[in-house]
Amino acid sequence: MKFAAVKPVSRVLARELAVTALLLLGVSVVVFAILYLAPGDPLNVLLEGQSPRSELALGMREALGVPRTWYGQYAAWFGKMLQGNFGNSIRTGLPVLPELARVGVYTLTLTLGSLTLTLLIAVPIAVHAAAHGGTAGNTAATLGAYVLSAVPVFWFGYIVVYVFIHQFGMFPLISGTAAKQEHAWLYFLVPIFVLGIASGTLSEMIRHLREELSRVLAEDYIRTARAKGAPVWRHAFKEGFLIPVTEIMSAKIPFLLGGAVIVEQVFNWPGMGRMAWQAAQDRDFPVIMGIALVAAAFVRSGNLLQRVIFTAVNPRASRE
Amino acid sequence: MALDAGPLLAIDNLRTYFYSRAKRAFIRSVDGVSLGVAHGETLGIVGESGSGKSVTALSAAGLVTAGPGVISGRIDLHSNGTRRNLLEGLENYARFTEQDGRVMAVEKDERGWRKHSDTLMAGVRGKEIAMIFQNPRSALNPYSTIGKQLVETIRLHTNFKGEREAKERAIHWLERVRIDSPGLRFDNFPFGLSGGMCQRAMIAMALSAEPSLLIADEPTTGLDATIQSRIVDLLAQLKTETGITTLLISHDISVIQRLSDRIAVMYGGTVVETGRAAEVLAPQATARHPYTAALLASIPSAETIRRKSYLQAIEGEVLDTIEVPRGCRFYGRCNRVTDAIRENCAGIEPPLAEIAPGHKVRCWLYPAAGKA
Amino acid sequence: MRRYVQTPGPIGEFSELSLAQRAGPLDLLYTGYGLLVVAVVVASYVLGAFGWLSHDPQAINVGLINAPPFTSGHLLGTDFLGRDLQARLILGIQAYFLPGLLAITISVVGGSILGILAGYKGGWFDTIITYFDNLLDSFPRLVLILLVIAAFKPDIYYVMVVVGITGMPVIANLIAGKIAFLRQKSFIEAAHALGLPAHTVVLKHILWLNCRALLVIQATLGMAEAILVETSLSYLGFGVQEPTPSWGNMVQAGANYFLQGNFWPSTAPALAILATILGLQLLGDGLNNLLEGKRRK
Repeated sequence: MKFAAVKPVSRVLARELAVTALLLLGVSVVVFAILYLAPGDPLNVLLEGQSPRSELALGMREALGVPRTWYGQYAAWFGKMLQGNFGNSIRTGLPVLPELARVGVYTLTLTLGSLTLTLLIAVPIAVHAAAHGGTAGNTAATLGAYVLSAVPVFWFGYIVVYVFIHQFGMFPLISGTAAKQEHAWLYFLVPIFVLGIASGTLSEMIRHLREELSRVLAEDYIRTARAKGAPVWRHAFKEGFLIPVTEIMSAKIPFLLGGAVIVEQVFNWPGMGRMAWQAAQDRDFPVIMGIALVAAAFVRSGNLLQRVIFTAVNPRASRE
Repeated sequence: MALDAGPLLAIDNLRTYFYSRAKRAFIRSVDGVSLGVAHGETLGIVGESGSGKSVTALSAAGLVTAGPGVISGRIDLHSNGTRRNLLEGLENYARFTEQDGRVMAVEKDERGWRKHSDTLMAGVRGKEIAMIFQNPRSALNPYSTIGKQLVETIRLHTNFKGEREAKERAIHWLERVRIDSPGLRFDNFPFGLSGGMCQRAMIAMALSAEPSLLIADEPTTGLDATIQSRIVDLLAQLKTETGITTLLISHDISVIQRLSDRIAVMYGGTVVETGRAAEVLAPQATARHPYTAALLASIPSAETIRRKSYLQAIEGEVLDTIEVPRGCRFYGRCNRVTDAIRENCAGIEPPLAEIAPGHKVRCWLYPAAGKA
Repeated sequence: MRRYVQTPGPIGEFSELSLAQRAGPLDLLYTGYGLLVVAVVVASYVLGAFGWLSHDPQAINVGLINAPPFTSGHLLGTDFLGRDLQARLILGIQAYFLPGLLAITISVVGGSILGILAGYKGGWFDTIITYFDNLLDSFPRLVLILLVIAAFKPDIYYVMVVVGITGMPVIANLIAGKIAFLRQKSFIEAAHALGLPAHTVVLKHILWLNCRALLVIQATLGMAEAILVETSLSYLGFGVQEPTPSWGNMVQAGANYFLQGNFWPSTAPALAILATILGLQLLGDGLNNLLEGKRRK
């Protein structure tokens, strides 16, 4: 993948970055709006109750107080966030952002791991269906995927847990200390397995990949490749595989994050999802606000990455 | 001039059918076509859309993917001292039943045939038979530079296996197709090139493998008129330079005329006339197929413009190859039917009859003096 | 082996195959099953709404706990407290039925408005609406819902408003796409040339005549999403509370018993969720293939 001209590419990338930034701004506005409109004025608690006392002179802070106008509050709130101050958890009193960073890793591995697993199942079915049309095999597989996509992931989790208890004689908990050491790595795989299979995105993935690959295989340039005896997959790869896969991955990240919330409940997995559930129970809005922002940031980063790949691969994209 | 006896490519009784689910009927795109291309000659197949000319070419290259596809026939390729049937074993994969002399049911193991055909065509496609298509911009991979695509062909099918020597060879070929600044153009993507240049690149790609047969499927369609003429010139020049055998397909008679040694006229899935170019297109000829006559009369030419005569459109509509009539396929639109032959025209398909050495016509006006 | 047969005799001028002939058997299966599911759910909803249940869903019967189906008058068996599962499942539909309708109404109406603005007016509207779409898609829906729950209250109708709003982008895109397609066919120009007022063109010609299949399909899929959300939320404890049944909280309540080997109290509601969501999704897909004429293979 040669960048025959670097300048236009970086121009396009700069635009993508700007769009992402704008969207993240919008995300913050949405979150702010929800907090602003909420009863009990959570914003005030956030703005005055959480700010560090030592920074400004006491008198000046009293004079400033909490801004009255909504844009003033937004500015103050946003400013705090830029400094890394997401407030403190109402329940634990701990600062939100560091806590999120601590547990975020678990959710990250769960999300990415299950996304990979779903892909590993979807790709062979989609490729086979695109290359060979509807055979008994891939029609049955597609139907099976439909069923799997409708299975409630929490119930599926229980089935897997049950099997674990009775096959391996242990409860797959991630409390760390209670784990039998020789099977510790399995614990990480189980929630990934559950979410990967029952996240509800499997049939969509298969459909998208199959449609795109079929479309590409019918293109003129693939016919030319066949006519000159060249391996078709080499020509179909970029448009028929790489781009659709990254597209569907980036598009399904939000769904997998949502699924992670549920799966973390089933397995008591110490991630952001379980923290979100706890926060919703306790009305711990600094925490849930932080999670919403971090989750959205994660989604947008995934999307940005996909756009970068697309630009790198597509010669037209980098020359507009 | 022929080095070997016999034609380079001999298509014998080829039938390529498709199926319309909506009408529950076969689309008889190629319905019993026999053609031969001699070594070093250019055979031009001319006809309107739907006549089956493109499908014939695709069948020869093994590129028909829709079902049922090729169901019967032989395609003999005679090159480099070997002779092989590109449809070898077809009868094991496709079976059909006829009713009243017409195919009414087909059973075909499509997956099996595709695999078998790919095995047969490995080493033929791209190497012995090279093909160029219409709409060159979309026929080239938009995600890859033309240089890379050329190098791919060269490394696959010639002895220039190294990256650098292949690149040199590629640039050499870009020069031969008269692309200027070939060294720079090497790194261009198709979208950055004009249609004409893309077609030149595709021609270069096809010829760089030094194939025995070039199949050109509507090479000028989709290009601007002035560019069309340049491409035709290029093909003529390359033909002189390399002496390559060509199967040229076009609906544009002027293109056919400028490049072909022999011509086959197709209508409704069959060949209705074949012969030397001069004979088939001769303006004063009396012995020719009515369709050919009508085709020629419907083209504006300097002569007709000068004489201010009217262009004569052909009455009726093109045969859709689903409803194939019992008798002569052109009967409904023919303006030269006489009462003496009317019954034949309506009821029996005329055979291809030789009316002069090397000149055959499928018409009851010229009944079989010999046989096809 | 593929078999192709041409029926002897004349080939019709227009051999218009009927819907049943054009449709693949799979599409018919999907649609049939989906419609069956819808019928059962709607009927059950009505039963539940009027309280016409065979058993009292709250009646505890410790003598008959965890009974499998077809045990002494309990068609679907009983749960871990001996409560009749069939009655509880039917009652559980109340938890998502009306809220789900709210969600899809918001999605369809809001999405249509946005789609029309984007497609019809184009220009700035298109850009803004695309931005809005991408914005909404940035949030995992469950997280956004939890935020709303934390900020306001765990009210299913609030939640469904969020679901409805997050469902607007998909519909907006589809409608804008349809409009682009119609515009390409000069359909819209023609309608205007005929002097039809804008609102007629939009409401009657675009929406009703051309988009209604699309909207029905999206409503069906949207309902499946709403059910997924409601059951997930009530599983997490934010929906209807015990002893009032909802499919989600029934699965959760039966969890411990499941792990001890009594599968049925959790499995019955889980299967209900599975069957219903599957039915709606298959219905949406089947209708899509039949009505929107997507070619397969």
